[in-house]
Amino acid sequence: MASHNLPIRSIADEIANRSSIFAVCFCFLCSIGPHFRNLPLWVSAIVIVSLGWRCLQNLGKIGELPKWVLIPLVFFGGIGVFAEYWTVVGRDAGLALLTVMTSFKFFESKRHRDLLILVFLCYFLIATHFLFSQSIFTAGLMFATLVVITATLITINQRDDKIDLRQLLTFSARLVALSVPLMIILFVLVPRVPGPLWGISNEQRGGVTGLSDHMSPGQISNLIRSNEVAFRVDFEDKVPAQSMLYWRGPVMAQYNGSRWYRARRQVLNRFNLTVTEPAVKYTVTLEPNGEHWLLALDMPTKLVPGSLMTEDFQLVSTKKINDLLRYSMESHLAYQVGENESLEYLGLTLEYPATRNPETISLGKSLAERFDRNEDIIDAVLTMFREQEYFYTLRPPALGDDSVDEFLFGTRRGFCEHYAGSFALLMRAAGIPARVVTGYQGGEYNNVGNYLIVRQSDAHAWTEVWLENRGWVRIDPTAAVSPSRIEQGLDDALSDDESIFRIQNRNPLFGNLLYSWDNLQHSWNDWIINYDDRKQRNFLSKLELGIENWSDMVFALVFLLLSVTGLFWLIVRYRERPPKPEAYEILFKRVLKKLSKRGFQKRPSEDTRAFLERVSSRDFPQRDQLADIVELYNRIKYGRQDDTSRRLNSMRTLIKSLEL
Amino acid sequence: MFSVSLPGPVRRHFDNWFDNHNPPSPDAILLHNRRLYILPTRFGYLFAIMLLFLFFAAINYQNSMAFVLTFMLISLGIISLWHTHKNLLGINVSLQIPRPVFCGEYCEFKFEVSHANNSTRYAIGLQYADQAPVYVKLEPEGNTEARLKLPTAHRGQFKPMGITVFTRYPTGLFHAWGWLKFDLPILIYPRPAEKARLQQNLVEQYDGQTSTSTIEGDDFAGLREHRVGESLRHISWKAYAQGKGLLTKTFQGHARPSLWIDWNSLTEGSLEDKLSLMASLVLAAENEEQKYGLRLPGTTIEQDYGNAHKHACLQALAIFRQSDFNQELELENG
Repeated sequence: MASHNLPIRSIADEIANRSSIFAVCFCFLCSIGPHFRNLPLWVSAIVIVSLGWRCLQNLGKIGELPKWVLIPLVFFGGIGVFAEYWTVVGRDAGLALLTVMTSFKFFESKRHRDLLILVFLCYFLIATHFLFSQSIFTAGLMFATLVVITATLITINQRDDKIDLRQLLTFSARLVALSVPLMIILFVLVPRVPGPLWGISNEQRGGVTGLSDHMSPGQISNLIRSNEVAFRVDFEDKVPAQSMLYWRGPVMAQYNGSRWYRARRQVLNRFNLTVTEPAVKYTVTLEPNGEHWLLALDMPTKLVPGSLMTEDFQLVSTKKINDLLRYSMESHLAYQVGENESLEYLGLTLEYPATRNPETISLGKSLAERFDRNEDIIDAVLTMFREQEYFYTLRPPALGDDSVDEFLFGTRRGFCEHYAGSFALLMRAAGIPARVVTGYQGGEYNNVGNYLIVRQSDAHAWTEVWLENRGWVRIDPTAAVSPSRIEQGLDDALSDDESIFRIQNRNPLFGNLLYSWDNLQHSWNDWIINYDDRKQRNFLSKLELGIENWSDMVFALVFLLLSVTGLFWLIVRYRERPPKPEAYEILFKRVLKKLSKRGFQKRPSEDTRAFLERVSSRDFPQRDQLADIVELYNRIKYGRQDDTSRRLNSMRTLIKSLEL
Repeated sequence: MFSVSLPGPVRRHFDNWFDNHNPPSPDAILLHNRRLYILPTRFGYLFAIMLLFLFFAAINYQNSMAFVLTFMLISLGIISLWHTHKNLLGINVSLQIPRPVFCGEYCEFKFEVSHANNSTRYAIGLQYADQAPVYVKLEPEGNTEARLKLPTAHRGQFKPMGITVFTRYPTGLFHAWGWLKFDLPILIYPRPAEKARLQQNLVEQYDGQTSTSTIEGDDFAGLREHRVGESLRHISWKAYAQGKGLLTKTFQGHARPSLWIDWNSLTEGSLEDKLSLMASLVLAAENEEQKYGLRLPGTTIEQDYGNAHKHACLQALAIFRQSDFNQELELENG
């Protein structure tokens, strides 16, 4: 009690109780835990050690860390982050710095002020998770974390060491749940500004799988083991046949004997495309791939904002794609292109190292001698793949230096990259310009949401050869070996024990469930993640409420908020209204009002009796009646309850007779 | 809470409005809607700044989930505004009349905090000015006691302004409070004068009164039977221990002394100094168990002694020329 007599600077200066400190430690662990895989190990270690120390200190097992230890620690923490990233700003370094500093803050946190600031930092940390992932899973996890942080905030402000955990979490969850409707209103109606406002470093998320800018044997078969979604496609009309779904990605024209590379190419400035059919229109929702590739059906005829097309007809984004990207696209599936290819580039697409793969090169050369027409050479090779003992497998045997020779004449087992690579080399040896195109082939139709899912496991490689008067022609040697790969999809092409787990392979009920889940993710991406200024305008105009521009939105927002809070306020006001004054008080007030009209004002310092005496002392005509009224008033107020109604009645008649 | 200075008429208007909404109560104050005030705390403002920062970050990164989080936290803030208000609404605070104390001592206020709701109220704080608050927790429909010790600076009627009942539960973003103004007759007695000055003045007082009183001597006269009503201090405990029964010591030739504590006999010092001195004389006389009376301009309390008499005298001193005293204060404060 003694400490309670001292003046204090602020309520927040009070020393927090034990359970609050434990709660804040747990709350920070919950908020930072999912980040441990994004943080350097030593940063995670600092988190664990400082939280452990604070908990032990809270239990009284160890003492406070002295300032002369803490200050150098903070300094070296900052240095450590700088040494790790060579910067202290940006997403990754910023997160590490925030984490380290927050951890050190725990050592000296004992007052309410400190704990509240720590809780705010935890709220802030939630936002950093969304810079790494915005999936439904992350959102759900962060929602739960929000409940934990809010429960911590309640614990701190409860000022009671005893905690009923269940009640606390229920209350916190209720607060969070109550916030949802208002959040939705704000989310829909707060006008979105197209960003960014200031330059941001476009950092890559960890562990993204996707197409690479080079191709060597084994690379795509690795990718194919991943069941992750590469992109989803909503077609405006019918989905084209499976065998037409070639999603064009990186084009590789340079070959060094074992690897295929992207050639440096200029931006295409004249696009000479001959088409015979109308364009296919669709919208792609591309998952982040950490690279520049924009996937589109072969052959794309539209540009995405912030992208360009190279001379080898590849859509390239100017920025790395580290966020979910949605774009509408048009493609022509039947086309003729590139008849006027430059000689320089054609020369490049004929090059190969003479010292590697001698058998393949001599086969190519002999084919060139045997056939006059280039089409015949191509047919001969495809026939060779089709009719000889070549196998399509995910697990080809390991290959040595002259990998194409070993594959074509030895193992004869390979995946799409083996067939595409060896085919392109054979063509070059036979004098036909050829290049390898990587991308995806096919896709899985989700009949729940009516869209196509293309996964990493749909990754594919094929070739393009250049023929006089026909330009670049797509040849897929894999189709010769395993037609079912192209017509039905990967799983049908592989033997049972190699089959990838896809939704189609499961039983119908479970499969439908998974399609619904994927559909949910697709809608999530479509409605939540991609809800930007354009989407907002489209959505609001579709509602037909007359909300067209941002001032309409602000108006609607203010109107909605005011009416909701107004309604709320009225309800609360009604439910918690002050007690209605008793009947005798109302009557007596009327008397006082009458008297005040006659110039007798009751002073605040006077009680009723003193006031009456003062009034009566003047020459007041009806002083006896007045005295009776006051007497009745006092009797009702302080006397027995049972006579009240009778006394009230006589009070009323007296007041009526009072002629003022 | 408020440190804004308003122009005179506005200020008066505000004060009127404020007094109308917060009438002082003789016994209990029910915190209904009109008596409750709510403002963000410093942490509320900090939270708002953080949200602004978050909002711009969300725009910059075009991160939809960051928008969701920002809006979620804004909503949480608004919801907590309502909850903080609700936590205080309908709380009833009543005050027992505190015991009178001397100026400079702490006056202990004993409150009873109760409510009729079917919910638990956490962290209901009672605070006086800038002193550390006390917190109570109320069970559903429960009541509890809270004590505040208020420092006293002036004698007379004590009407402490700035006692509040407040809460920041559940989030600490908002501070809801109601003013506790009680219209109770709480008296603060004048601060007794310091001992050294007292001794000297006591002698002077006695010197002026030799005709009616003498100082108690040491001439022991003998023992006689104890009569009911006589002071226990004069009982010969030695004789009692020897089993002779209760005997009173008598002193030869000395009557029970009595004195007048007279305003007019004091010449030096200000009004407050004189009252302080008189208060300490009252205490000393009471301590010595002599009859004493009090003479103030306009008030006379006849000679007597005992607890009731002492308090009557001290009360008279406490309220003596309170209006002068207030004017003096106003002059001091400019």
